[in-house]
Amino acid sequence: MTDDVSRNERIKEASDYLRGTLAEGLREEITGAIVEDDQQLVKFHGMYLQDDRDLRPERTRKKMEKAFAFMIRVRIPGGVLNAAQWLALDQVARDFGNGTMRLTTRQTVQLHGVIKSNLKATLRQIDAALLNSIAACGDINRNVMCNAVPEQSKAHAAAFDLARAASDHLLPSTPAYREIWLDGEKIAGGEDEVVEPIYGKTYLPRKFKIVVAVPPSNDVDVFAHDLGFIAILDDKGDVAGWNVTVGGGMGMTHGEEDTYPRTADVMGFCATKDALAIAEAVVAVQRDWGDRLNRKHARLKYTIEDRGLDVFRAEVVRRANVELEPARPFTFTSTGDRYGWSGGAGGRSHLTLFVQNGRLLDHANAKQLSALRRIAQNHDGDFRITPNQNLIVANIPADKQTEIHWIAKDAGLLAAWSGLRRNSMACVALPTCGLALAESERYLPDLMTALDERLAAHGLSNDDIVIRMTGCPNGCARPYLAEIGLVGKGPGRYNLYLGAAFDGSRMNKLYAEDLEHDGIVTALDPIFAAYASERQKGERFGDFTIRAGFVAATGNGRDFHANTRALGGVAR
Amino acid sequence: MSSGFATIPKTAPFAEEEIDLLNRVVGPANALQRAWLAGFLAGVESVTGVAQPVAPARPAEPITIVYASESGNCEKLAGDLAKAARKNGLKPTLIDMADLDLAALGSAKRLVMIAATWGEGEPPARATRAYNELMGEGAPRLDGVEYGVLALGDTAYAEFCAIGKKIDERLAALGAKRVVDRVDCDLDFAQPAATWIGGALKVLTPPDADRGRVIEVDFGKPAASPNTDIVEAEISEHVNLNSSRSNKETIHLALTFDGAMPAYEPGDSLDLYAENDPVYVDELLKFAGLTGDDKLRAELIKSRDVTTLSLKTVEAYAAQTGHQYVKALIADGEVKEWIAGRQLIDLIATFPIALTADHLRALTRPLAPRAYSIASSRREVGDEAHLLISAVRYDSHGRARKGVASNYVAERLKRGGRVRVKLKPNKHFGLPAADKDIIMIGPGTGVAPFRAFVQERRATAAKGRSWLFFGDRAFTHDFLYQLDWQEALKDGALTRMDVAFSRDTPEKVYVQHKLWDKRRELIEWLDGGAHFYVCGDAKNMAKDVRATLVRAYADVKALSPEAAEQTVAELERDKRCLQDTY
Repeated sequence: MTDDVSRNERIKEASDYLRGTLAEGLREEITGAIVEDDQQLVKFHGMYLQDDRDLRPERTRKKMEKAFAFMIRVRIPGGVLNAAQWLALDQVARDFGNGTMRLTTRQTVQLHGVIKSNLKATLRQIDAALLNSIAACGDINRNVMCNAVPEQSKAHAAAFDLARAASDHLLPSTPAYREIWLDGEKIAGGEDEVVEPIYGKTYLPRKFKIVVAVPPSNDVDVFAHDLGFIAILDDKGDVAGWNVTVGGGMGMTHGEEDTYPRTADVMGFCATKDALAIAEAVVAVQRDWGDRLNRKHARLKYTIEDRGLDVFRAEVVRRANVELEPARPFTFTSTGDRYGWSGGAGGRSHLTLFVQNGRLLDHANAKQLSALRRIAQNHDGDFRITPNQNLIVANIPADKQTEIHWIAKDAGLLAAWSGLRRNSMACVALPTCGLALAESERYLPDLMTALDERLAAHGLSNDDIVIRMTGCPNGCARPYLAEIGLVGKGPGRYNLYLGAAFDGSRMNKLYAEDLEHDGIVTALDPIFAAYASERQKGERFGDFTIRAGFVAATGNGRDFHANTRALGGVAR
Repeated sequence: MSSGFATIPKTAPFAEEEIDLLNRVVGPANALQRAWLAGFLAGVESVTGVAQPVAPARPAEPITIVYASESGNCEKLAGDLAKAARKNGLKPTLIDMADLDLAALGSAKRLVMIAATWGEGEPPARATRAYNELMGEGAPRLDGVEYGVLALGDTAYAEFCAIGKKIDERLAALGAKRVVDRVDCDLDFAQPAATWIGGALKVLTPPDADRGRVIEVDFGKPAASPNTDIVEAEISEHVNLNSSRSNKETIHLALTFDGAMPAYEPGDSLDLYAENDPVYVDELLKFAGLTGDDKLRAELIKSRDVTTLSLKTVEAYAAQTGHQYVKALIADGEVKEWIAGRQLIDLIATFPIALTADHLRALTRPLAPRAYSIASSRREVGDEAHLLISAVRYDSHGRARKGVASNYVAERLKRGGRVRVKLKPNKHFGLPAADKDIIMIGPGTGVAPFRAFVQERRATAAKGRSWLFFGDRAFTHDFLYQLDWQEALKDGALTRMDVAFSRDTPEKVYVQHKLWDKRRELIEWLDGGAHFYVCGDAKNMAKDVRATLVRAYADVKALSPEAAEQTVAELERDKRCLQDTY
């Protein structure tokens, strides 16, 4: 294990600031893959080498290597795109990708199925739209998320400014991306030149995620990320400053109790002018203190667990040379999106669309990708990808609203979904993700159809219940913060977690292991029944499962693995 | 011819019974046979190394035989003709039209040309240069030359035997005297061609060709000609190499022989004896009103070409049935257009009339085997031969069409089943000396012989470098033999490889584009003596590749288009630029 981990560190060290042999690898035409070390480095450029796992069984017999292709994750701070950028991504998705756009849980767009020979053309077109995929993956600060609710316009603007500034400030400086993908001039650095003033040669020990939240919406799931800023509003609705959260993270490994998801701690309050200094200091402390020997123990959450929040805070304050005030009160109400129309400034309105699992394509009977293209071709506002894999067409002037409404409705983007479905998320998983142990995106809709039937039987069709599924325990869809969390264990088998808070402040608890489809439905049905008949007024499903004694409440850190399993029944 | 004078005297140094025996043979022998014996006996001495004065022979009368061959049929007939001519006391000169120096024709006394027509009325690729020269203004006068033309073609194509016809006309126009009338042969050429050869020789052999002559007998070791009999093979591997996401289907077929494997060489083909699709035959029988004739059905499936529709077929149908509309179609002159993209079934379905079994039989010709380039080297795969066969499927005139042989292979052959094949050597598409570099252009199934080349070069540890250009639709789903190429690149059997996939990008990229991109290195290789091979689609690819090669020379060496064309033509003449296209 240690070998494996230090290997990543060695690869970074030897990569000449993320160059490796990527340029050479691109010239190897007869394989769709790149060499192993470069597979690690290419993540820093926003790409993963994947293969179509559906095709694996036939490939060797057909005398072909795996069906390799790259996933490109675009860097879109705050998830905001203008219409031209949307159209550019739509175009490359059809020309070079698999004809779909995948909106992600971290407000970006993923293109899947881009073969190696098309990578440069794809990235050039993305670049022409003033977008890139720099540091969208890898051991580095990734896409910075931001509250997507546009009607809180003043606060949103401030949050978005901070997200953008943090994103820019923490970008890697190496010219490798431009050199390799855009045929930029190789810039020869002098011996003493500091190429990466913030990161150094080996970047961070592990991935690093920043979000900016604007209460009362916790759509960004602020507690699930390494570093978070929560907007604190004054009486006039202006942002007075930010509560700073640190040490959240979702990933863990099945069967290894030393690994666990963790909700972030609130570390204090800072003024807007100090926020970037704090962000840089948090990154720098993690760079120096994070575990570089064991990749499964390398996220900031473990640094904070091991060192303690107070020690960590003191070091951040020392390095940033700014004071952190005590955290200020705030209230979150939910993590979900509100669908449909909402008002904005200057007569413009916003339309939030439900995109099932974030996957946009032209279904036979619902041509969603084409519909959004039509909207974009005639839209001067912007597009905002929400942290729930949905899409907001924002700032639509009054004279365009009817037309856009009907295009969206015809494409099934405004359907009246059940309360469960409109609060659902799934990661990509099979067939492209190399980590998936089970289906997720392709299966969750079917599971929800079965669950919806049970919920309808109990009169719960319109109740908001957060359900999230992932194909592995790494947690891309933040399943440990879902009232119903399902985490892939093996083909067709899932661990079922219950009891998270609706506002994203408390994780769930393992309720049952290795359930197959029928097992999931059978396990949940009596709990639905109990919830329908015994819930208190306004009581959320997650809270109910704890109060009613189905599962124990989860505290932080290692407590995630304590007191697991079904507690057996309804506490009457 | 026999006369009593030739009795071998009792004084001859033979035992009595041997003298009787000899007299039984020599006595009735005709002049030709005696001339042959004289040559044989003289030859025996020279072969055994003992110098022996031989009666000075009158030089044999020459005959020039030129063949323009694509698949080897014309070449084989030319060889048959040469053998027969020699027996007749003539001295044949056999010339591949690819090597023809037009000036030589003028001095020919007797000339036979055997020419194939290829594709839509084109000469065989190798013969193109000489053919164009013959048709051009610089062709020499041929006064005093006696000639005959034998044409091969395929009635399935509109321009049936066009090249033979044009050559025939052209020779006459140049002043040569047609002494044998041309015959145009279809795919079942064996019988009519043999008859024509017999007749032609009768006319072309001077009456005294064999008088007082010694016929030179060839004592060279008979070339170990490989077994070209039909043999049965077992299918040991049957895999569609395209991914399940591809809309193409290309079958890799491994054939195993129980000791009877033909001794094939890289570049050779196998003739595969396919059967017709029973579904198609049943439908055909239904339209012909012959459903239930099981004997006919079996015959049609097994041995008749029931798909090809030619002018000949339509005319035969009109004559047989007296169908007014069919007659009108012919009379209107629209029949050729109507035939395009249609098959026999369309004729009978569109102009239905009750047919007898014999009528239907007469509308078909024998089902010819289909040749496929061998995709393996014996030296690597042992008692196996591999074929690469793309299932041909398309729609035309509202009907789904299927290539007969390819779909027989794709749909009805299974692993463990058996199939009949026959070796079809192709000595015009072999590997050069082991130290020579090779450049191979093989998109789609055109890559088949190059897999054989690469395997052979690995098995023989050849020193020459090899460079493969491959192309198809999608990298991920249509990269035929990808793992094989990766391995060959790793072990050095293949030096480099460039690929072009046409459907991966908005603009289509083909092998010729890759060739152009790499033109500097390409010309460098060729300057170093590399051999250049093209295999695959004749209609577009081969032409585009050739044009690109000419352009590459022009660009890299700053040549005029004419000079670049000349350079490529020379490569072709030197047999360093070879094609196997279909």
